[in-house]
Amino acid sequence: MQNITRIYALSKRNVILRYKNSLVGFFWGFFKPLLYLLIFIVIFAAQFPSVNNYILYATSGLIFWFFFSNVTNQAIGTIVGSAGLIKSLNIPPVSFPISELVGELFNFFLTLVVFLVVMYWFGISYSLRLLLIVPCTILFSIFSLGVILLLSSLNVFFRDISIIWGTVQPALFYITPIAYPESLLQGRNMFIIKCNPIYYFIKLGRGIFNDPIAPSNRLWAYCAIIAFVMYGIGAFVFSRLKNQFISTI
Amino acid sequence: MNADTLISFDKVSVSFWQNNMGINSIKDLITKRKKPFSSKTILKDISFEVKRGESMGILGRNGSGKSTLLRTIAGLIKPQDGIIKVNGSFAPILAIGAGLELELSGYENISLLLSLYGTSRKNTNAGEEIKEFSELSEDVLRMPVKRYSSGMVARLAFSISLAKQADILIIDEVLSVGDQGFQAKCMDKIHQIKAQGTTILFVSHFPDGVLKICDTAILLENGQITHRGTAKEICDNYTLLF
Repeated sequence: MQNITRIYALSKRNVILRYKNSLVGFFWGFFKPLLYLLIFIVIFAAQFPSVNNYILYATSGLIFWFFFSNVTNQAIGTIVGSAGLIKSLNIPPVSFPISELVGELFNFFLTLVVFLVVMYWFGISYSLRLLLIVPCTILFSIFSLGVILLLSSLNVFFRDISIIWGTVQPALFYITPIAYPESLLQGRNMFIIKCNPIYYFIKLGRGIFNDPIAPSNRLWAYCAIIAFVMYGIGAFVFSRLKNQFISTI
Repeated sequence: MNADTLISFDKVSVSFWQNNMGINSIKDLITKRKKPFSSKTILKDISFEVKRGESMGILGRNGSGKSTLLRTIAGLIKPQDGIIKVNGSFAPILAIGAGLELELSGYENISLLLSLYGTSRKNTNAGEEIKEFSELSEDVLRMPVKRYSSGMVARLAFSISLAKQADILIIDEVLSVGDQGFQAKCMDKIHQIKAQGTTILFVSHFPDGVLKICDTAILLENGQITHRGTAKEICDNYTLLF
């Protein structure tokens, strides 16, 4: 119970800190995907006439991508950045990555609300199916938590991790069909894409908003398996390393 | 363990991972097959007991393991060896400005740290007490902490840390900052807390402070306790080190 209060307090701090001294505050959450979308429209939209309703297609992928990208960027340095607290208070270190995730979920929720309103003009159909976004977000969060547990704990010992992650991320972005249709890829390229775990979550989330038919059970199962395996890996590494955090930060 | 023993350490050793890597880290890792980390012992065979209501000073040169010992007592560091028994609750370790968020205002820091310390949100008195004890004005508390002078940071940090009622108060070299008036006030407050029966663990480089607050003391050298005894004896030993 006490830990929940603590995570709440830390998450609140993260949310306040993120947009401190910025003019439009939370709306950056939506502006950022929107700016990317503008770039996409100018460069790609005409290239992919095969995509039905390109704006909805690209935006629905982008909001999920930015959730993942924001949470990993914020959380990768969370243990190193919380050195002062870790050295003076007996708080389980796992509270720090969790609170980054909670803060970003709050941000994602606001983005989602704006997205759902704005997409009215771009042909989103409102139905009960949109509620599937809740389990989808939960699975993606579990996956993201696994990633940030892994990255934030390794980053304590090898600060190169955050630098490497800065270059891995754009690569991940481009091998995930966000700006371009999946049909563009064939053969060997398709194999690379299918090895990319984020692909499945983006496909799932986008399917809920965009496709005429609901995501298949098989896709849900893939996402659930990937999410829990990633969480398992992250939690294992984190728990092996956490006792040595204090000596290194 | 005796009923009135609050903290007991039995042959406790703590070691840290030490980074072996230089600037050519990845190259070295591959070509020289050096292990990236090795273990370094910080505390060796530490044994001592602190009774309820007793105040103990910890003296030693820079790097002798004082802060590590405090963090081990507070449960922040898990020892590799030995048995630790602690029978009470801790106030957060008082180190200068630790845990304050520079971008947040004084007020925001107070409410953040109070929730992290587990003080109930409804306890609005705690906030008032902190404000009163720190003697910082409304205006100052609304400013981000990054604009504070080091004395102001110390005032805020010290006041927040004292807000939690606990059995054990750990003080790590905080009184060296802050003006004379505030130092005297802190000393008074520490004496008052001590009179209430709280155990105080006090790290300082100034034997005067230790003599004023502590009954007993230990002297650390290179991670080992070389002397134990009354505060007076240990302070004399400590002065002889230099």
